[in-house]
Amino acid sequence: MGMLRTMSRRGDDRITWDQQKLQVGDPEAAAAVREAERIFAQERAKGATAFRIDPGKPAQRIETFDETAEQIVLVPRVVGG
Amino acid sequence: MIIFTQQVLTTLGWIVLALAVSPMVWLLFQPYFKGLSSAERRAAHLLRDMLTVEQCRQLVWHGYLEVPSPSTTQRVYRVPRGRGYVQVIEHGRPVMRLCIQPVESLPDADVVILHKLMIEGNEEYYLQKANKYLCV
Repeated sequence: MGMLRTMSRRGDDRITWDQQKLQVGDPEAAAAVREAERIFAQERAKGATAFRIDPGKPAQRIETFDETAEQIVLVPRVVGG
Repeated sequence: MIIFTQQVLTTLGWIVLALAVSPMVWLLFQPYFKGLSSAERRAAHLLRDMLTVEQCRQLVWHGYLEVPSPSTTQRVYRVPRGRGYVQVIEHGRPVMRLCIQPVESLPDADVVILHKLMIEGNEEYYLQKANKYLCV
C-alpha cells in the first residue's frame, strides 16, 4: 500500500492506494493516486516539503510525487520562531 | 531453592520486558489517558509509526528526541517533546539553540516529526530558516 500523509492542525490527513491494483489498472486505485497527486501539488505550492519514508532509512526529500513510495509525508512550511 | 531462583529470574525477565515495551505502550495509550483531541491522537499515532522503539523510549523517558546530523558527524539535534528550542549538540556539548516552527499550528507530536524529517532530509534549509542562539 502507498500512503500520502499531510500534516495539518487536524493531525495528519491520509490517502492510501493499493500499488498492486494500480499496476493492473484498477480505476479506484488510479483515482486515489490522482487525488494524492493533486494534494501533493497543492501543498507543495503552499510551501510544504515532501519526504519519502522507507522503513529503517533516514527520510528523503522529494520534489515530485512518487506513486511507488510506501509512505510520503508532507510537512508545512517552516519559519524562524 | 532452584525453583525459587527460577521464579525470581522469570519475574525479573517479565520486569525487563515490561520496561522495554512500556514507552511504546505509553505512546499508544497516552492520548486516551490524557483525553487528547482527535488531532493529537492522530499525531501520536504518526509519531509512533515514524520512530523506532529506541527513539520512543528516549522521547518518553528523557523528554527529547536526538536526531543525528546527516552532514556533520559529532553533531546531534535534540528535539524537545513539547514546545521549545531545539538544541544543537556538538562533541557532547550544547553549542546552539534553534527556534523554528511551522507556519500552521500542529499538534506537539507532529512538530517532533516535522523537526526529524527536516533535519534528516533538508538540513541545510532547516538551519537557514531557524533563528539561532549561540550557547556561550
